[in-house]
Amino acid sequence: MARLPSGATGSAPPTLRRARWSAALAGYAMISVPMLLFLVLQIGTVFYAIYISLWRWNVRSGPVTFKGLGNYQTALGDPVFQRAVSNSLYYAVVWVPLTMAIGLFLAVIVNQKIRGQTFFRGAYYFPAIASSAAITILWIFIVSPFGLFNSVRETLGLNPLFELLGYGPHKNWIGDQDTALNSVIILNAWTTSGTFMLFYLASLQSISGQVYEAAAIDGASAWQTFWKITFPLLRPGHYFVATVAVIGALQLFDQAAIAGGPNGDPNNALMTVVLYLYNAAFSQLNFGYAAAVGVILFAVIFTATVIQRRLFGGAPSW
Amino acid sequence: MRPKWFTLAVATVLLFAACSNSSTSPSPSGGASSPAASGPAESGSAPSGSAAAGSWDPKSITGTAILSGWRSSPEEGEALTQTLLGFPAQYPNIQVDYQPIAGDYRTVMITKISSHEVPDLFYVNAEYAPEWMDQGFLEPLDDYIAKSGFDTSKFFDGYASIFKGKDGKTYGLAKDGNTIAMAYRSDLVTTAPTTMDELVSAAKALKGKGDLKAPLCLNPGLDRGLAFIYAQGGELLNADGTASAIETDASKAAVQWYMDLFKDGIGMTAADLGSGWCGEALGKGQVAMTFEGGWLDPAMTGTYPDVKYAWAEMPTGSSGKPVTLSYTVSYSIGADSVNKDQAFVLLTYLAGVDGMTKWTEGGVALPSRSDVPTPAGKDILTKGSAYARPGSGFMVGYTDVQKAFQDAFTAQIQGKTYDAGPVVAATKAAIDKALSQ
Repeated sequence: MARLPSGATGSAPPTLRRARWSAALAGYAMISVPMLLFLVLQIGTVFYAIYISLWRWNVRSGPVTFKGLGNYQTALGDPVFQRAVSNSLYYAVVWVPLTMAIGLFLAVIVNQKIRGQTFFRGAYYFPAIASSAAITILWIFIVSPFGLFNSVRETLGLNPLFELLGYGPHKNWIGDQDTALNSVIILNAWTTSGTFMLFYLASLQSISGQVYEAAAIDGASAWQTFWKITFPLLRPGHYFVATVAVIGALQLFDQAAIAGGPNGDPNNALMTVVLYLYNAAFSQLNFGYAAAVGVILFAVIFTATVIQRRLFGGAPSW
Repeated sequence: MRPKWFTLAVATVLLFAACSNSSTSPSPSGGASSPAASGPAESGSAPSGSAAAGSWDPKSITGTAILSGWRSSPEEGEALTQTLLGFPAQYPNIQVDYQPIAGDYRTVMITKISSHEVPDLFYVNAEYAPEWMDQGFLEPLDDYIAKSGFDTSKFFDGYASIFKGKDGKTYGLAKDGNTIAMAYRSDLVTTAPTTMDELVSAAKALKGKGDLKAPLCLNPGLDRGLAFIYAQGGELLNADGTASAIETDASKAAVQWYMDLFKDGIGMTAADLGSGWCGEALGKGQVAMTFEGGWLDPAMTGTYPDVKYAWAEMPTGSSGKPVTLSYTVSYSIGADSVNKDQAFVLLTYLAGVDGMTKWTEGGVALPSRSDVPTPAGKDILTKGSAYARPGSGFMVGYTDVQKAFQDAFTAQIQGKTYDAGPVVAATKAAIDKALSQ
């Protein structure tokens, strides 16, 4: 591409303008198709969903009756939806920090120059690439009344400790309304920590080694180095991981649907907002209502992301 | 500039090639007949409504019929394939293209319905039949039945009534059925109980015997609980189905009776036993008796062949009458199906005596017609067909009622409060809501 001589301003010679103009046009033409698809399939569908949410919608014949904000009112007043929201929020509040902490811990470990570093990275990341349905079914077996976890704690003689906490020897961890959601939190903390480990690893690589050398010269201990230097410098990493984690947490569906069935059994303990939406759409065939639930979820996630940007976004400062 | 524009053109062509949907148009399965033409009496495209009296000649109809459904086990897929083998002998001019749907059948079908590209003949589970009929997804069959003279009088009423819409039209023909009966370990239970009181005393005697974790495996929902409620004189709805009857004293007492089975340790849920369903609990030797349908047999012979069990009818309760629940699935034609004539011919075969005999003789399901012979070993289950009441599909929004009941019931047994009051209240609220929509 031709370059202007430095210091030249104002109008360029005609041939140069034409060259730049057609180069720009080619660029726009190249991105036009993906941009069009993005606008239609990603942005357009959001507006379409908002449109659908204002109607009672028949999936075969389209709009039936205009309801305005009626679907939204019904959703906000439905106790099952309220339970779904509280489950999703509880899940986000507990699972996000837990998994971030585990991910960061693993990242710091595998960032050391130890033997088998690559193996450990692969091993910790493996659950993230395995099928979530398969892992959930495996987990259901592990935590079932006569499954692996209960058998192991019986063999290790830990049952009296669990009895003190009120858990019998054959506790149905995922089928009991009090422990089901926490079981899913632990499952997902295990499977997703590998992904967060990768994100944090990328951030860790970007911290200059000179900082650590300076800390070593000043006599900082390992914990002080981590807490006062590594942790604050990871702020962009924290922001990114937290944003992705909150978005994912509020959209929990697979594990809840597999472990609790489409009804979020037992007794709505595993009912999440997306599972509620799925039921409204495919079980109750109430697509307008499901679209309204989707728009509400979109608003919640968008607000959460904006708040996080305000609080945590931006470069780390000393 | 030329290379840039060339690249852009190639990229655009590739993009659109990748984005184009794979065609779902019917592909004749190796048949010689032309796919598009059809018989002189009827036109190939939607003929709904106008029926030229007596002009139905199924043998002259040509074309393809796309058949779809789920396949819950390899045995079931095999049984249907065998059944379809008998079709070309009677109707050689129609090709059947069997395209089963894997995964979540209902969700996949709804996406097909929304895009107006539905198979020609497909399963409709009683569970969602009322909603699908209500929302206009299915083609009414009355004109076809009248034109063709297909005899629908032999279908058991408990199955056939499900697929009649609110407008009185028929939207599907029951392809088979299943009833709930009592499956018990014949080595642990010498005489099968015939009444609910006998059931309770037999169960109490079995408590703690051998490796049993519980005498009975029971579901905390209406999918089985409703049979017990009916047996003990309770009702969900009033006689004409227009109002709730779950809050009457008789119904509440029946619900409490069922809950007391859990309270007294007579029954446990499959989940608390560590099994996926009660059939698995029976096969693993965790319980001595459970209440399931004919689908238990292939599961037991396939996975737990050494377990000795037998069938008995549901014990009668305080109502004195034998009662059980039935579940059924229909063959239906979609409102947007392309080859409706061909689909109806296939339907008359599959839901007729010949096709249904072939389909049910392997024991996959029970006949929904009284003129089809009972499959071997299914006498108890078929007996139930005569007096069974529908276990699903008898009201719009029943899944919400089931959910309300099960949530409240589970809360009671897990919270160990065992009070039928909240369960009845929650169920009544759900019934009222469903009936008002």
